[in-house]
Amino acid sequence: MKQERSVENAVLAGPIVLFLLAILGFPTLLSLVYGFSETTFQTLTTPEFSGLKNFRDVTADPTFWQAAWFSLRFGAITAVLQCALGLALAVYLAPLVRRHGWTVAILIIPMIVAPAMMGLMYRLVLHEFAGPLPHYMYSWFGWSPSFLGPANVFKTLVVAETLQWTPFAFLLFLTAFQSIPDDLREAAAVDGTRPWRLFWKIELPLMMPTVFVALFIRFIDGFRVFDNIYTLVGAGPGGSTTSMSIYIYETFLRRGEIGKAMAAAILLFVSAFVILALAQRLMRRRTP
Amino acid sequence: MIFKTKLRATAAMLAMLAGGAAQAEVTVLGWPGGPEEAALRAVTEVYNAKADLAAENKVELLFTSREGFFDKLQVDLAAGSTAFDINLIATYSIGRYAPFMEPVTLSDQAGAVFGDTVLKTMQFNGAQYGVPTDLSLHFLYYRSDLIDALMADDAAKAKYSEIAMQYLGKAMEPKAPADWTWEDFVANALYFTQSINPDSPTRYGTVIQAKNLLFNMMVFHSWPRSYGGNWMDDSGAITVDSEAFRTALSQAKMLFDLGATPPDSTSYEYAEANAAYSSGQVAAMVQWNAAAGELTTAQAATGTTAPPAGPDGRYTHIHGLGLGLNKAAENKEGALAFLQWLSTEEAALAYAKAGGAPGLAAETAAKLAADRPDLVQVGEYASTYGFVMNGGTAEKALAVYEAQAKEFTGYWAGTQDLDTALKNAAASMAELLK
Repeated sequence: MKQERSVENAVLAGPIVLFLLAILGFPTLLSLVYGFSETTFQTLTTPEFSGLKNFRDVTADPTFWQAAWFSLRFGAITAVLQCALGLALAVYLAPLVRRHGWTVAILIIPMIVAPAMMGLMYRLVLHEFAGPLPHYMYSWFGWSPSFLGPANVFKTLVVAETLQWTPFAFLLFLTAFQSIPDDLREAAAVDGTRPWRLFWKIELPLMMPTVFVALFIRFIDGFRVFDNIYTLVGAGPGGSTTSMSIYIYETFLRRGEIGKAMAAAILLFVSAFVILALAQRLMRRRTP
Repeated sequence: MIFKTKLRATAAMLAMLAGGAAQAEVTVLGWPGGPEEAALRAVTEVYNAKADLAAENKVELLFTSREGFFDKLQVDLAAGSTAFDINLIATYSIGRYAPFMEPVTLSDQAGAVFGDTVLKTMQFNGAQYGVPTDLSLHFLYYRSDLIDALMADDAAKAKYSEIAMQYLGKAMEPKAPADWTWEDFVANALYFTQSINPDSPTRYGTVIQAKNLLFNMMVFHSWPRSYGGNWMDDSGAITVDSEAFRTALSQAKMLFDLGATPPDSTSYEYAEANAAYSSGQVAAMVQWNAAAGELTTAQAATGTTAPPAGPDGRYTHIHGLGLGLNKAAENKEGALAFLQWLSTEEAALAYAKAGGAPGLAAETAAKLAADRPDLVQVGEYASTYGFVMNGGTAEKALAVYEAQAKEFTGYWAGTQDLDTALKNAAASMAELLK
């Protein structure tokens, strides 16, 4: 009986395992091969093993570290901002959403837009001569900040990313907030607990696992950001808006250094994996 | 019954599609979405209508999207794709694609139709890799109404001299744009900038497209070239860290620092720079010849001339788009026949009349003087002022442009100094062009 079930499981799981191996396994394997090889577009089918050379080249490249620092800052700042805003919105709007569930659909609209489209949209909206925002600022105040100039571009990118993805954090926090049993709130109210104290001492601690998950997901998404930045400002003057993903893309396709690009991709994967492991460990410690 | 009818209809449709595909045996991957596409469609119709053309050599066109076109093409060619027999190439990417392409022999008329300078834009290591179809170079666009008003006003001229003295250390006089040096270009940009001259009718004197993008380096290169700058000398030594590049980069930097170009310019490419000029808030700019229609429509009082001169003369970067033979092509014979025909006068004239911008020799361009007077100007500038940097068609030429774009835009944006930018650019180029 047990053996029959085991065969049945294998048969049922077989197609999805094969599918994953083909879709994820093959590119991963190829990336590993190229990461440890001297490969160009002419030698795609005949890569020559070069040991750790690509990794040495990547770590000796100042642009790689510049991109890593950009991604780290961008990922951390946007994750914190999105989670703070998403949490505040979820708590503040929970009563409204409970009465009118359809409002959620409006709040998550930014999330539905493809990031590349969002970048193109901001490129138009923020343009000094064609964009509505600078136009009205010049009309009303006779001045407009240079949104995409060297001094402000990082802040503009952070705001654009935060506006687009805060709804994602909001959705997670709303679900967590709504799943807190009403009995707890009622009991606290009977004891005379004020709303602020109720939030800090009861609701927020119960939502902490979700906060960690949201922070982690948003950080990883911010760390590997590509589309919206690439379509809005590209790699930036002097590489100032080059994220890790943009670095990998440009190294691979523009410079044709396939091995080096794959080595950078492997390092990106490993760092994401380490962060995931650390976050999980932290969550386990925090969870009562 | 209904199911069977539907099945038959589907089978008939598939058969028709298959039949259509079987007739078009030479597939051309063209540059999508612009006048180049319209022109290629027009000449293909002319070619396919020829009575002596075998059915298996008829031409079918394939267009994808401009976004990431050259990257996708690189991957397709490297993978040995047989989806197309003929593909687009550009001067700056010939070296990159040459290992996956085959040299071609053009028609006997090609030399007379295009001229040597233009044919060279499709050559790599001495071999002809394509037929030049469109030529790109740069014009200096300027607001002729503003320049005329300046030249006619003594008080304005005095102010112009005063600004030139203050920022350039010389009491310069305004001149007609056809006589401008790069110093005149800078002086004019400063004069027409409101933060320097509150009476200026425009907010900015110029707009420099300075996004970290390889095409923006092509626009910039006419500037150092006119001071004698080049990528390499004849012995192959990298010469980017030179007085010529230093002068041009510093002059441009002055325009950024003094606000003579919009502060967002470091995120501008072709479209944004055109929008700035079209808004009427910019007095003059150096831009691709392809923008002529758009800019003169937006600002009717727009004059065009060749980019300003330097001590070494007047120059404009040129590069061509063209069509060449995929090494993995399945119908090489048919593809070569089409490419040969494309290099004849008949094809070049049809291409130009349909909206393309081929770089034509003076005699051929003269035949289009009534339909396409702009091509006469393009042909003249290409043969008189056109240049390709030493190494501009090398295998990694695109990466060289990319490296320069990163370093030079960093200098303009103030993230690094000039010495560092030039040192880094030279180091990257030495690695890429070795």
